[in-house]
Amino acid sequence: MEDGIVQKLIEIVGKEYVSTRKDVLLAYSTSASMSYDTVLPGAVVRPQTTEQVSEILKVANKHKILVTPRSGGSSLQGEVIPKEDALVIDLLRLTEIEIYPDLRSITVGAGIDFGKLDKFLNKHDLWLPVYPGSSLTATIAGNVAVNGSGFGSSQFGCIGELVLGLEVVLPNGEIIQTGSEANPNSPGPFLRYAFGPDLTGLFIGSLGVFGIITKVSLKIFKRMHQFDYNTYGFNTPQEAEKFVIQCKENEISTVWIAIYEGQILDFFLEMVGEEYGVPEHDWPPFTVSMVIGRIREDQLESDRVEAQRICVEEGGYVIGISELPKGEWDDRMLELARSSYVHGWHWRILYHHQTLSQWHKTIEEIWPIFDEFRVLGHTAGFQSGHSSYNYYPQIFFDPQDKEDENKARAAHKELVRRLFKTGAVPFKLAPYWVDGITEMEPYLELVKGLKEAIDPNRIMSPGVIPGIEGEN
Amino acid sequence: MTEVDLDELMENLAQCRRCGICRNAVYEDKGFDGVCPVWKNSAGFETSFMRGRIQVALALLEGRLEKTEENAESLFSCTLCGNCTSICAAEFDPAKCLESVREILNKIPNEVRDTIAKKILENNNPYVDENKTRRDWVKEVGFDIPSTGEVLYFTGCTAGLKLPETAKATAKVLKAAGVDFTVLEEEPCCGSVMIRTGMVEEAKKNAENALKMIATSGAKTIVVTCAGCLKTLREDYKERFGLDIPEVLHVVEYLKPLIESGKLKLKKSADSKKITWHDPCHLGRALGVYEEPRDVLKAIPGVELVEMETNREAAMCCGSGGGLRSYDGDLAKKIAADRMNDAEEIEADIIATACPFCEHNLKDGADRIGSKIRVVDILDLLAENLK
Amino acid sequence: MDKKIIAELSKIVGDGYISTKQSELLAYSVSASMASNAVLPGAVVRPADSKQVSQILQVAAKYNIPVTPRSGGSSLQEEVIPEVDGLVVELLRLNDIKFHKELRSVTVGAGVTYGVLEKFLKEHNVFLPVYPESALVCTVAGNVAVNGAGPGSSLFGCTGELVLDVEAVLPDGRIITTGSEANPYASGPYQRYSFGPDITGLFIGSLGSFGIITKVSMKVFKRHKYYDHNTFGFETHEQAEQFMVDVKQNDINGVFTSLYEGPVLELFMDMIGEELGVPKYEWPFRTVSMTIGRVREDLLKSDAELAKKLCVKHGGHVIGISQLPYQEWNGRLWFFVRACYVHGWHWRTLYHHQTPTNAHRSVEEIRRVMDKYGFLGHTAGFASGHSSFNAYPHLYFDPQDLEDEQKIRDAHKELAKTLFKTGAVPFKMAPYWADAIEGMDNYMTFLELIKKTIDPKKLMNPRVLGGL
Repeated sequence: MEDGIVQKLIEIVGKEYVSTRKDVLLAYSTSASMSYDTVLPGAVVRPQTTEQVSEILKVANKHKILVTPRSGGSSLQGEVIPKEDALVIDLLRLTEIEIYPDLRSITVGAGIDFGKLDKFLNKHDLWLPVYPGSSLTATIAGNVAVNGSGFGSSQFGCIGELVLGLEVVLPNGEIIQTGSEANPNSPGPFLRYAFGPDLTGLFIGSLGVFGIITKVSLKIFKRMHQFDYNTYGFNTPQEAEKFVIQCKENEISTVWIAIYEGQILDFFLEMVGEEYGVPEHDWPPFTVSMVIGRIREDQLESDRVEAQRICVEEGGYVIGISELPKGEWDDRMLELARSSYVHGWHWRILYHHQTLSQWHKTIEEIWPIFDEFRVLGHTAGFQSGHSSYNYYPQIFFDPQDKEDENKARAAHKELVRRLFKTGAVPFKLAPYWVDGITEMEPYLELVKGLKEAIDPNRIMSPGVIPGIEGEN
Repeated sequence: MTEVDLDELMENLAQCRRCGICRNAVYEDKGFDGVCPVWKNSAGFETSFMRGRIQVALALLEGRLEKTEENAESLFSCTLCGNCTSICAAEFDPAKCLESVREILNKIPNEVRDTIAKKILENNNPYVDENKTRRDWVKEVGFDIPSTGEVLYFTGCTAGLKLPETAKATAKVLKAAGVDFTVLEEEPCCGSVMIRTGMVEEAKKNAENALKMIATSGAKTIVVTCAGCLKTLREDYKERFGLDIPEVLHVVEYLKPLIESGKLKLKKSADSKKITWHDPCHLGRALGVYEEPRDVLKAIPGVELVEMETNREAAMCCGSGGGLRSYDGDLAKKIAADRMNDAEEIEADIIATACPFCEHNLKDGADRIGSKIRVVDILDLLAENLK
Repeated sequence: MDKKIIAELSKIVGDGYISTKQSELLAYSVSASMASNAVLPGAVVRPADSKQVSQILQVAAKYNIPVTPRSGGSSLQEEVIPEVDGLVVELLRLNDIKFHKELRSVTVGAGVTYGVLEKFLKEHNVFLPVYPESALVCTVAGNVAVNGAGPGSSLFGCTGELVLDVEAVLPDGRIITTGSEANPYASGPYQRYSFGPDITGLFIGSLGSFGIITKVSMKVFKRHKYYDHNTFGFETHEQAEQFMVDVKQNDINGVFTSLYEGPVLELFMDMIGEELGVPKYEWPFRTVSMTIGRVREDLLKSDAELAKKLCVKHGGHVIGISQLPYQEWNGRLWFFVRACYVHGWHWRTLYHHQTPTNAHRSVEEIRRVMDKYGFLGHTAGFASGHSSFNAYPHLYFDPQDLEDEQKIRDAHKELAKTLFKTGAVPFKMAPYWADAIEGMDNYMTFLELIKKTIDPKKLMNPRVLGGL
């Protein structure tokens, strides 16, 4: 990066927090995204405040420097891989937390991760009840920018559903606040839908293309302490699917529901079964692992009984092994990472949402792909809201074998095409979704128009949502 | 020629999925509140914690990054505390791998590392020219200490040369417990810092020499007050170098049964104090010794043991290990100051530990923040409270 | 309107569905918005489907004709008052309903009212659990466009929170579908957050300024089977407000929790109490009237018991009169309308959302303005979601007295300003908020940018969103 620009950045954040060192640039050329080509940025800057972020973007915008905002660096679909010579803005120093107990809400800076927030809220017997797999490293702001979900989503939806407002720095450096806090007189965040169109939504899932989220305001809740853990067995996917739908329909407060095919469950338990103390069992063709959470004990008991009733009604039986869902839930801030790492492979992920009654469709698409491309992998997921199921299938490859990796990439590309045709939707919009999908022209045109208007110099997160940047 | 299996190392490093949990995870249920002390106390770029270090290591090993001193800096600005290993969800040991990386890449220039190794090989300690002065404290304990015997008290360089009070305290306590112990006439350096900074060949040479010197005592048991010496003598000498060494115990481990059986009698101290235990990385995470020192502290009448926010497997490092104290003294002291803040937060009166290296650094850290908390070795406390 | 344009529009919808008759235009020059100036449009057109809407908008774009979309016509803040010589596109013929049972969702055309939908969904034992006051008149799509709330919101939030996706026709005629249905292969609406930025949100509360919503998909839920209705009395506003916060915090399913000042409740009961069968009572300083709904009886009993405990914990007493909340809930498609008309006056409303513990601030400001301008009115409101309180003050005037009406218009304007300063936010972004908003320059600039991008010709309902 030009010395002049680096100088300007130093003037904003101080020498200590700007780097153009080769080793630092190398470390920022990559992220948790596996099998993505690394790209060296031109500089990395670590601002401390929203104002500093604003000043930095003004410089970038003026000189048309490409910008990649980044906090945890744990995203899996290349979201924070920079462009060559671009500026990486590391947001981890924005660490304010402000709680509003009467408003049942909280505001956090872009550098606050889920683990840290959970510990803070625990002191107040509260929680933010959605835990992505990367809770120990991902930030709330980052998760809002991609729109994640995880443990807890079954009851509370994806993270987007909990947002009350955002502080965003636009590409031109202007700072805006959405939601009720747009009113500078508001005592705090209490309502997302205020002042007309839902501008907050524009930034949820935006992957940084419209600006940098510097603060997030969220709903928080009284912490649950009553939990029931159980497993339910079924012979057909349809029975399992119906069971899950009926649990949701009948107001059972499920904070975690995962449907496992027999062979996938065996695979998982080989890896983490002992760690979680899950006893040996001859698992049925389809197992539902479920955690019910409630504030009150009598509510929990009511839910527990109801769940069992529905299970039997749908043709299943109560397995009774609680260690599996308990292990999953208790370790919710690490479990998905742990179970994903323990087998040794690297993997490409293809998260998507499926409907409950189409749950089996994803499985039907994935297994043939594994065969055709001769790769290994799994299909696993969890119920993620009102009526969606979040899949996070992984296609494995040996990180030290380039050929193996290429096979995985090829399988990945084909899988997204097939999944789209089953009616699945991206969990987070990644480049391979835009490449793999057709028939969405008008939609993408609209996003493109917004992008052009909001970021006319096209500096923000280039390439992260392809097809919306127009000609170069 | 090194003994590191490069293929195995690369395979291990490939287990890193770059998730970033090793940076600053707060995992309340498992006791983690922050992970990397360097990231926390530095400018905080990616290269200041394990994820970035591994990327740099891979790039250097694969030739994607030029092997210059500057490019290798991040390999050395780490205390190898192992907190990242504690929390890492993947199947490998990041801290151990970094240590091996330092070994494989030890041809990359690093003046600090080389100077220390040279000093140790020449003088049997990293501090002074005249190694004999490390036995001077013996003259001040008020009783004779032979140089041969069954139980060898190995003071280690830092106690002998920087914190002789601890050596004296240890001697007094051992005597009060009725232990016949010896101190070497000429004590070697265990060589820990050489191993940590990748000078493994040199460390092996030193180890062989050290064992010869230790053998002159005829000891069957070695007790140490330094966690660093403990790990090195007990673990590295055996497993890494394949050398035969007598049983090595930390004094705390050795004394615990003596306290329990009443052989070592302790009295209540003048005023009851709140004491917190700082787990040295080489005693705790490296060797799993967490409860013995705490049991010993609790055995002192009138002591109220309080725990810092992070302790045991998740304890934050004092900042001086892995060669960091020499490599970047300012950073090491910043980390120590941070650790002292942990003690301030719980309003402890005393912070006790079992590693002169920790104590030395924590004392500097305390000075930095103007803390009135007393930094002591557990042996100092025991010596003060002998009946 | 130019005959040429009329001809083109005729070709799209057929002669029977376009009108330029004076009497017709007159009927469309007003709406339920009281104390608003009537404006004669140039034509009214009634398309049958999204495709026709698309073609219509293309014509409007071609000739630069301002467009006012309209369905129920029940909005209260001049949302559907047309532009001079503009085109009113009335959407009531778009009345398809598609129920996606296993997705727990329903898609409705822009012409479907809550009343119609409620009847349909009842057959399937589900409900769309937020009912605006105007439920018998207004359409779901219209309510999404303004983003309303009402009975049910205390538990389920405002209308916007239940939206899964929209089908909208953009100002240039392009039709887009948001949410999971942006994937044409999707089996239906099941996930709002798909394909990147939440485009659905842009249309929620957009008041037609970004395009015309032709369909909306909403979450539906199994109907509650068991209800509890109770009233709780408090002597201070803090007690009442804290009680309401605590109800939410403790997972009590208050589907409709309203808060009344003593005198206001007296006034209501004078007007309508007998009709509703509410026994006479000396209502306390503050009354919380709450309906709890659950699918299971044991859950309901648990909630009802806890509510009583919490009331006492906060220093209140359980009044025990159930008829009031019972009527509020069971009359949810109609109760408010009735309560608002029975006294004879017309009124301006100034709905806004307040924080629950600032509900009394709204009362203070409203009373202050009432004293200053010397008019009658009321303040009342209800819990509207996670932590918001929807206040809907009414400022009364005699519809046959222009001076009286002017007083109200002036008072209204001032009230918006003072309410803004208490930290309240507009319930729906109405014109009178434009003057009240201060210190939101960046926000409004950004909103204008979005508007300019989506509707560069500024044809879509130009008067709304503070006249951007």
